Amino acid sequence: MQPDLPPLLRFDNLTLGYERHPAIHHLSAAIPAGALVAVIGPNGAGKSTLLKGVAGELRPIGGHIHLPEFGRKGIAYMPQRSEMDHSFPVSVFDMVAMGLWHELGPFSGLSRAQRDRVGHALEAVSLAGFERRPIGSLSGGQLQRARFARLILQDAPVILLDEPFAAIDTRTVDDLMHLMLHWHGEGRTILTVVHDYNQVRQHFPTSLLLARELVAFGPTAAVLTDAHLARARHLSEAFDDNAPECHVEEAA
Amino acid sequence: MSLYELLLAPFADFGFMRRALVGCLALALGATPVGVFLLLRRMSLMGDAMSHAILPGAALGYLAFGLSLGAMTIGGIIAGLVVVFAAGIVTRASILKEDASLAAFYLLSLAAGVMIVSLRGRNLDLLHVLFGSVLALDDASLILISAISSVTVLGLALLFRPLVLECFDPSFLRAVSRLSPVAHYGFLMLVVLNLVSGFHALGTLMAVGIMILPSAAARLWARSLPATLLVAVLIAFGSGLIGLLVSFHIDVPAGPAIVLMCGVAYFASLLAAPGGVLAGRLPVRRHLES
Amino acid sequence: MRFSSRLLLATLATLSLISGTVRAEPLMVTASFSILGDFVRQVGGERVQVEVLVGADQDAHAFQPRPSDSKRIGAAQLVVANGLGFDDWVERLARSGGYKGIVLKASRGVSTIKMADDHDHGHNHKHDHKHGGGIDPHAWQDAGNAQRYVGNIAEALIQADPAGSAYYRANAERYIGELKRLDSEIRLAIDSLPAERRKVVSSHDAFAYFAKAYGLQFLSPVGVSNNAEPTAQGVARLIRQLRAEKVPAVFIENVADPRLIERIQAESGASVGGTLYSDALSAASGPAPDYLTMMRHNLASLMTALTAVPPSR
Repeated sequence: MQPDLPPLLRFDNLTLGYERHPAIHHLSAAIPAGALVAVIGPNGAGKSTLLKGVAGELRPIGGHIHLPEFGRKGIAYMPQRSEMDHSFPVSVFDMVAMGLWHELGPFSGLSRAQRDRVGHALEAVSLAGFERRPIGSLSGGQLQRARFARLILQDAPVILLDEPFAAIDTRTVDDLMHLMLHWHGEGRTILTVVHDYNQVRQHFPTSLLLARELVAFGPTAAVLTDAHLARARHLSEAFDDNAPECHVEEAA
Repeated sequence: MSLYELLLAPFADFGFMRRALVGCLALALGATPVGVFLLLRRMSLMGDAMSHAILPGAALGYLAFGLSLGAMTIGGIIAGLVVVFAAGIVTRASILKEDASLAAFYLLSLAAGVMIVSLRGRNLDLLHVLFGSVLALDDASLILISAISSVTVLGLALLFRPLVLECFDPSFLRAVSRLSPVAHYGFLMLVVLNLVSGFHALGTLMAVGIMILPSAAARLWARSLPATLLVAVLIAFGSGLIGLLVSFHIDVPAGPAIVLMCGVAYFASLLAAPGGVLAGRLPVRRHLES
Repeated sequence: MRFSSRLLLATLATLSLISGTVRAEPLMVTASFSILGDFVRQVGGERVQVEVLVGADQDAHAFQPRPSDSKRIGAAQLVVANGLGFDDWVERLARSGGYKGIVLKASRGVSTIKMADDHDHGHNHKHDHKHGGGIDPHAWQDAGNAQRYVGNIAEALIQADPAGSAYYRANAERYIGELKRLDSEIRLAIDSLPAERRKVVSSHDAFAYFAKAYGLQFLSPVGVSNNAEPTAQGVARLIRQLRAEKVPAVFIENVADPRLIERIQAESGASVGGTLYSDALSAASGPAPDYLTMMRHNLASLMTALTAVPPSR
């Protein structure tokens, strides 16, 4: 973490949750611009919840999320795969081209240049030639590549990825990881939820270890220690229905 | 019987046949595309729900203005809009999905309607009065469905991109645009307008039938959305034309004949189309190289 | 004690004799629908209090009884229904309300007509209405039959309230006289029409008795009665028929779908008549608040439409 870069994203005593039960409890951290951060932790640690909060899908029930100046417009979010309707009759090209929404708006057609960019994005994820195919005909790995192509076109300075490698073949994982590193090289700020610690050690310079509260944040080597991991495992996974009201915020 | 007598004479000789054909065309252009989207959003049963949900609006119109079709239709539209908007709000704001919230509101609406009707003229089957028939299209009804059809075509063209996105990847739309509620509610509004004007002019069977059956048939063929829309509209209009001719030459009721023609198209598609039941089960020709 | 109780008895007996001619409480009668209610009032006068289940402008075919109906009918001393399958539900409603008396079928004894086709007249709601073996129940549309109705009602009232028999008989006679006058009025009017003008189209075929009694042809829109869905061929046939036979008038009945009739009229050139009242009286302020007025209103509408010069096509 380079201390001279100003923090792009700041979590200030952040509590995010559902029905008053916190999934993330009093998280304070500052993400510098250009960081490539792996968000890790056991199941139920609040990783997806954190990304949802940054993307604006969930409102904090305590504390703040400080967004960069350009706000949500500059944030591209890729949730876990469940929400897209794969049987919908739309072609890969059209689906990926949606990434240009911020340029096109709801009405305008695609210019020649824009069509080319869509083509390039598809090439970048090795889906050239798939333009006309309906998205329902893609395999899991291919669909994930298409979503990445869409992300490319979104051209956002902040990118949030929730478990992008889940249930994907190794070759695709490698290719997409390559793409992420390329983005990192372009200076984008990336938060990714990852489960494979080997991958984290190999590629991600920064890690945020969550177990509903912040366990550790910083250079990966310093975060991924046995002590930290043990502590993370201990912290409870289930909601406690009888939990008393939390009074930590007054103290903090 | 010459070809002229078979195909053209019924329309040349009788004004009500010409009007019926125009009505079918308007419905095919406006309501059927809406039906395609309903199908894709898994809301196909909404038509039937809506035919009950409009009762309190029609009842209030009746209470205020007597048996005035205009008042009852407008009342019906308002009631329909209230129900879909309420259901839409609940769907977006709670854990209940579209079908549950719609079911809840349409049932409440129906119950309220029955109560209202019983306040006066309790032996009047209001909806029977309100629902029209394709052979009885007066000027007002024709104007109504033509106008709604035009509004729909325009609305779908404007809303096309956000609507499509709203259908297949709503979280992405929410992330990139604030138009998500506009697309959602705008679409629901088009649904109500098409359904109620369809009921008014043509009755529930035809209004819903022409929305859903051609859409289901087209879905089995087309791989892209524009193709689906086109095929659906063609099937809808073709069924209208042939259904009217069948009703004319074979003396069967017109509305059901039209819907059954749509059904014929649907069954044919089930058998023959790539998305149908036989596809993949028949011995295939030699496969392609790649 | 015995003297005072005998005195009490004697007083009571005298009082009841006196009160025999002036009833302290009116006889409670429930009639199934508005036309019958009118007949009962005409005969019963001040001695009866009539409750009508299916009131003015309401549709007996779509009647849904409420608990208050059941209660009211339970308190009645006489129930008057039409019979002929028109209002079979009355019997059931009365028994369930605890009524133990007679349910008079006011149409008893009239010569009946069978229904034209085997369909019920014109309403495709699902309801409790059956036709006993396909008999047309609208017998009251013939003023001659109406006299029979009145006679039956008078007998039933006398049976329920013997003390008023003279009163009821007098009223019945008077009213029957008026019905006879109505009957000849109608005959004269229809006879004054040239033969080729004695036909109308009406979507509601409740006028078979009227047609038979007075020689007016009521054409049902062929294949276009409301209970069956209209077919294009049926509508075309009717239009051709109207054009060919030059039927002068088409009537929109007050509970049918008027739009189809309008279409047919527009294409065939027939004039559109007013509203014909068939199964129900109108509200008191309307054109058909009682039977006599209703029949005269229908006659006037028919005559106006049939004597009008048809517009050239």
